[in-house]
Amino acid sequence: MDKKKILICDDDEGIIDVLEMIMEEVGHEVMSVNDSLKVQEVIDKVQPDLLILDLWMPRLSGQDVLRYLRSHPQHDKLPVIVISASRDGEQIANAAGADQFIAKPFDLGNIVESVDALLN
Amino acid sequence: MDTAKNRDFDLSANAGASNIQLMTMALDASNSGVIITDHTQPDNPIIYCNKAFENITGYSRKDIIGHNCRFLQAQDRNQKEREILARCIAEGEECRVEIRNYKKNGDLFWNELYMAPVKNEAGEVTHFIGIQNDVTWRKNAEHDLRQQKTVMEKKIRERTMALKDSEAFLSSIIETVREGLLVLDPDFNVLSANYHFLRTFKVSLEETVGRQLYDLGNHQWDIPKLRDLLIKILPTNNPVVDFEVEHDFPHIGRKLMLLNAYRVEFEGQFKDQILLAIEDITERREVENRKDDFLSIASHELRTPLTTIKGYVQLLERAMPENASQKFLSTFGKVSVYVERLNALIGELLDVSRIQSGNMELHVARFDFDAMIAEAVDGMRATVPTHNIMLKGQTGASVIADESHIAQVVTNLLSNAIKYAPDSKQIEVNIANVSEYVKVSVKDFGLGMSQEDRKKVFERFYRGVEIQKKFPGMGIGLYICDQIIKNHNGTLWVESEIGKGSVFSFTLPKAGKEQHG
Repeated sequence: MDKKKILICDDDEGIIDVLEMIMEEVGHEVMSVNDSLKVQEVIDKVQPDLLILDLWMPRLSGQDVLRYLRSHPQHDKLPVIVISASRDGEQIANAAGADQFIAKPFDLGNIVESVDALLN
Repeated sequence: MDTAKNRDFDLSANAGASNIQLMTMALDASNSGVIITDHTQPDNPIIYCNKAFENITGYSRKDIIGHNCRFLQAQDRNQKEREILARCIAEGEECRVEIRNYKKNGDLFWNELYMAPVKNEAGEVTHFIGIQNDVTWRKNAEHDLRQQKTVMEKKIRERTMALKDSEAFLSSIIETVREGLLVLDPDFNVLSANYHFLRTFKVSLEETVGRQLYDLGNHQWDIPKLRDLLIKILPTNNPVVDFEVEHDFPHIGRKLMLLNAYRVEFEGQFKDQILLAIEDITERREVENRKDDFLSIASHELRTPLTTIKGYVQLLERAMPENASQKFLSTFGKVSVYVERLNALIGELLDVSRIQSGNMELHVARFDFDAMIAEAVDGMRATVPTHNIMLKGQTGASVIADESHIAQVVTNLLSNAIKYAPDSKQIEVNIANVSEYVKVSVKDFGLGMSQEDRKKVFERFYRGVEIQKKFPGMGIGLYICDQIIKNHNGTLWVESEIGKGSVFSFTLPKAGKEQHG
């Protein structure tokens, strides 16, 4: 598979680190942002092929980020995988227009599979 | 002047002998005792008595004639009536007394005695005529009546006291109870209000009692749905249960009130009244919500580092050198198992909190029941490859339920079956249609459980005594399963015997025919 640009948005540095490591291991180019207010700016700048997005973040929730993306034509096709430890995360993610939801704690194999599936 | 021989005596020189005989016969026929005493002789002796006097006193004529009538008083000399009698005789006046007399055999009788003087032409008293009636029965009856009356009055006093006491007791309970209480008549007018009601709403008795419920305050209770429910109470005896009213009340602001209303189950003056209990649950609900929020946040915060740990473990596993030792590999495998266990515990804590506060959210949708079971079984097979999980039967049914919750129940039953049957590798899952339900049974061939454990196994925090020694845990898994199945109108039960394994089964209602294609 071609090298793709994956953007990770999560407020937890540990999760960012784990996701960066696995995405690099499977051969993608990874960028991350731990402040959801900056995600829009980063997306515009780096034009990622896929976004891995946490739901429950301070300042701006993943739900709001997703709503923003889905309401802007230049971003509404961006594949988004939502990751969350909330029990009702899946409902929220689906309602906001996520392509895939993966519950925390996640299985890295699942993340890799989902990323591959969405990038194809 | 007693002529003794024939009881005749000379009353008047003019009286004919036959007349006197007739009078004497008449006197003897009387039921009243009659005596005549001679006032001109010393000590006023009896000179005549009729037959009835002999009958009443038990004395015979020879014991009577010539005696003063005081012999009838025997030793009972201190009666007030005796003085009245003595004074009247001394003063030559008539009198009527009721006096205790005694028969010859000593028996007491009450003598209603009328004494009347007989005077000569000069106005001097010559004789007294005494008429006696035995009124013992009447006196006894009067006495009994008096006694009964006294007893009755005492009882009434006691009963009244008891009633007052119990009324005071009840009203002290009603006044102490930390719930506002209103008693309403059939037209929903307030008949009474307790102290707590007045305090809760900061209102006076005057602006409450006598007014219609719907007119109270700023018409806070004038809610169409509440009206409907209250109207049905008296005719149907259906109580209003846990009706919540959130409203901006006068004086006290926005509050959440919980209403319960019942028909008063009395006849008579309390018939057709409604008891309305109003409880301010604003704070309780806030605390529940805060607790729920706290647990949501706590579980989220606990899961975040757990995710990272799991991620690093998996990264290490992926980077595992090919020649890594078996011990190294199995230790890694164990870390993963415990990460999963910790994750499950965090989830259970959150579930228990939500069940208790009634905030268990259900995301209900139609799903293919057999596919869900197969997925749960496959998931468990992947996690625990050491056990052989057999899936038998099919339903072809769909179910309208929260799929993740039902899958959680199946997974929990499977992991229990594995956990409590360490020496047996066989587990059977059966699914079938049973009338309008689907039924799932998870059968293990493990330890089994006692009757006592079977009864309590679905209780919160219950742990079988033997089980706790060998398999520590919190005792909430089956409680959660039971609550989830109950929330879906199904039942969960267990059949088990010690040493023969256990079968946990649950049923769920099947969905009707699908409406859309």
